[in-house]
Amino acid sequence: MKGTFAKPPKIPLHFLRWFCDPDMLEDIEGDLTELFGVRAKNKPRLAKFIFWLDVLIMFRPGVIRNFEYQKLNNYDMFKNYLIAAWRNLMKNKRFSSINIFSLTLGIAACIIIFLFVKEEQAFDAFHSRKDQIYRLCEVQSFPGTNTQKVALSMPGMGPTMKEEFPEIETYARFWSFRNQPARVGDKHFMIDKVRGVDSTFLSIFDFPIIAGDPSGKMDGKEAYITRSTATKLFGSIDVVGQQFEMDDDLLSVKGVLEDVPDGSHLQFDMLCSIYLGTDDPADFDHRFGSNYLNTYFILNDGANLEDMAQRYPEYLSRMMDNEDINDFYKLFLQPLEDVHLASTDIEHDYNNHRKFNGTYIDVFVLIGVFILIIASVNFMNLTTARASTRAKEVGVRKTIGALRNQLFFQFILESTIMALIAFALAIVIDFISIPSLNILIDRDFSMIQFVSSEFIVVAFLFTLALGIITGMYPALYLSSFRPVTVLKGLKSGEKKSLFRSSLIVLQFGLAVGLIVCTLVVVQQLNYMKNKDIGYSTDHIMVVSLNYDARDNYQQIKDELLKQSSVLGVTASGQRIGNNFHQWGFKVKKDTGIVDFTPSNVVVDYDYLDVYDIKLKDGRTFSKEHAKDNGLAFIVNEAFAKEIGFEDPLGQRVGHGWYPDDSLGTIIGVTEDFNFNSLHYKVNTLSMVVHSDWGYSEMSVKLNGSNIAQGIKEVESVYNQFVSNYPFEYEFLDDHFAELYKADNQLGSIITIIAVLAIMIGGMGLFGLASISINRRIKEIGIRKVLGASSKDLMVLLSKNFGILILISFVIAVPFTWIYLAGWLEGFAYRISINPLVFLLGGVMALVVAMITISLHVIRAAYSNPVTSLRYE
Amino acid sequence: MGKNTIGEFEEILMLTVGVLYKEAYGIAIKEEIESKLKRKVSVGAMRTALKRLEKKGLLKSHLGEATAIRGGKRKRYFVVTPLGQKVLKEVMDTRKQLWESIPDVAFDLKLI
Repeated sequence: MKGTFAKPPKIPLHFLRWFCDPDMLEDIEGDLTELFGVRAKNKPRLAKFIFWLDVLIMFRPGVIRNFEYQKLNNYDMFKNYLIAAWRNLMKNKRFSSINIFSLTLGIAACIIIFLFVKEEQAFDAFHSRKDQIYRLCEVQSFPGTNTQKVALSMPGMGPTMKEEFPEIETYARFWSFRNQPARVGDKHFMIDKVRGVDSTFLSIFDFPIIAGDPSGKMDGKEAYITRSTATKLFGSIDVVGQQFEMDDDLLSVKGVLEDVPDGSHLQFDMLCSIYLGTDDPADFDHRFGSNYLNTYFILNDGANLEDMAQRYPEYLSRMMDNEDINDFYKLFLQPLEDVHLASTDIEHDYNNHRKFNGTYIDVFVLIGVFILIIASVNFMNLTTARASTRAKEVGVRKTIGALRNQLFFQFILESTIMALIAFALAIVIDFISIPSLNILIDRDFSMIQFVSSEFIVVAFLFTLALGIITGMYPALYLSSFRPVTVLKGLKSGEKKSLFRSSLIVLQFGLAVGLIVCTLVVVQQLNYMKNKDIGYSTDHIMVVSLNYDARDNYQQIKDELLKQSSVLGVTASGQRIGNNFHQWGFKVKKDTGIVDFTPSNVVVDYDYLDVYDIKLKDGRTFSKEHAKDNGLAFIVNEAFAKEIGFEDPLGQRVGHGWYPDDSLGTIIGVTEDFNFNSLHYKVNTLSMVVHSDWGYSEMSVKLNGSNIAQGIKEVESVYNQFVSNYPFEYEFLDDHFAELYKADNQLGSIITIIAVLAIMIGGMGLFGLASISINRRIKEIGIRKVLGASSKDLMVLLSKNFGILILISFVIAVPFTWIYLAGWLEGFAYRISINPLVFLLGGVMALVVAMITISLHVIRAAYSNPVTSLRYE
Repeated sequence: MGKNTIGEFEEILMLTVGVLYKEAYGIAIKEEIESKLKRKVSVGAMRTALKRLEKKGLLKSHLGEATAIRGGKRKRYFVVTPLGQKVLKEVMDTRKQLWESIPDVAFDLKLI
């Protein structure tokens, strides 16, 4: 065929092809195309317009094909499905609400768990080189002390390891200078977290910079401060180049950083050069011996950690000039991700904000899956159990000509609609509950963020899938009815369903497991809260001692003791509740001097009295003995046992740096007390007085009846003697609460979830009981007529459910036991699992179950047989 | 009469189909009417009317050849059936009769 034919616009053409009677389509389309072709030669645009017009004019009766038969019918059917679904929802409001609400709770819980997990995984994730960042850690196994992993390293390690190991691209050290007073003009401020770092710090970690030099390079006269610090000091953030005084140093602002996000394990308010912390910067980079700072490395892409680990021993013994050093130290590199999620067994981990036990993440995900299973089971069970109410509908639909897959689709549609309603409700519930949850577990979840992120789409699709999956079994079941059977009146689905029973077992097994877990976790937390840790923490406030306060400690103490609400004052070099630092120690034995490394703390004379630490043997420190200042040691039982003397009192011991011929003596032995967190065993400990060293913290014991008055008194005394450092205090109880925060959070979450689980399970059982009892209502009537008592009937009706719960209990026990035993391993001081807890959990589940079904059981048992037997 | 009555537009269509004889397909009919009668014909109106006439048995149709300009679609040719001829003739006869029975004065009055 010759000639090019002009193509008419597609949209109207498709429209025409869609509506036009197929008998007429060919010639009409041909005619219109021909007309278009003629017109298009002159005015293509107008031709298009006219073509549109022609097609629209064609859309008239006579040309439009008969839709009635094909499409409109489908649409009606679809509408009918929706109507049937809606009527079904409305007809049985109780079941519908149980169905939807249990799914709602399940989805709501899952969304929260998702937020939790996402937040934990996003921790420290804002550093672009996060996969290459490693933290240097050590495993220390000193004689006479528990083997421990520590996050601290020595100042010389960073620089020399970079030289020795080609895998290391750069290093940065991070050293806490605690808080420091600063001065701008004549105004005094306190900068909370001052940290000394290497110039490479900001090139390894991506803390966003607002103003100034982004390189991070600093000399000893420069500093980076955060937005809040800048605002606090200067009242603005445009302060690059401004100067302030800190500890006699004049520092100028090199750059202003954004405030450190909560999702960073490193926290600081100000960064300055790490060399500000040392008098001898040249020596600092080669200093070995003590561990007191954190070291971070960037490794090359191809770095092999195991390969590097093989070269550490040689490196260490060379650097520290000690063949045996590798008996005490093992180095290892910890990936950045693990710093937050896998550091629970690491001690002396001071720069690890909000560290979290990563294994809990798996637990939460597992729990989320459990909850969803429990909720989905409700749905499946209730829908199939009520199959008889839909049986006639299925029969009629099949008779009229519905195919099985159409019915299948109908029921899937119904379950999907329910799931979507539940989804919407779950989001509403989360919006309402998240603010209080945030307070409870100290998080900052935001539903608004969730709803506006792509995760909402994922959650939506997930819900859709959930609706389809949970709908699958009921749909298969319902659509399998044979019309002849169901319409004849023989109700289908009356048989006991093994599948349904096993779902109940699964559901209650999970619930029992969660209840038992809750009980044990709460018990363990209570145990830790109430365990006699061997000293008193009540009403003790710890006050930092700096500058004048340190120098004037004795006067402050004397003055404080005159106050009415102060019961005692003492001081120490480190705060109780963490591990105390380990120092080298010498013990004189018959065979000679033996080295070992206990935890050490420098204390004031009356430390044991104020803290109520009990002496087992010997005496406490006293000012009357001149040698008690530096040459007398009080040790704990673990220490005494470790050195192995029958009578430790009077034995010659001393710090590692004491000459062998001028050691001190042990004057007392205390009972073991838990100076470290209860996750750890009591380590060997030695206490000593060095009154001339100066203490870093003062502990003031207040009269519990008037704390506020006490704080006021302490503050006024403090201010009397100290002008150059503000009054700062914390109560020891708060400090301990902080130590066990992660454990307590886990406790609250597990409790909430267990309550949810039993609630959802109970709702499902409630619905199921009502259905199965209604179905037996005639049987009950006949039994009553024949003389069964109400009591017999109640036993009869409850028996089945009771057996199911018993089975679920038997299955749940071993799994729960194994998990809990593993969890408790993480605590050095732990409860032993009491079998009664399992019994209690089982009984609780049984009671909840029986209460929920009792309503139906009682009603059925006391019902008048006449009502149930009247119609037959 | 009865079901064989046809409207004015239908009559014109049938006559045009007759005029075009073997070439009576959609566009030809439309153009013929437009050129001879100087009136606009919409494709839609025409096509439904043709269909109606076919259904009444006054026209019959068959598909012809396809051409490139029609996008490869075939033409539908219409032919007047014997019944159609009869109906057309009846219509013409009826009119003739009516014309003849008009008294001469009736139209002459206009001339005054």
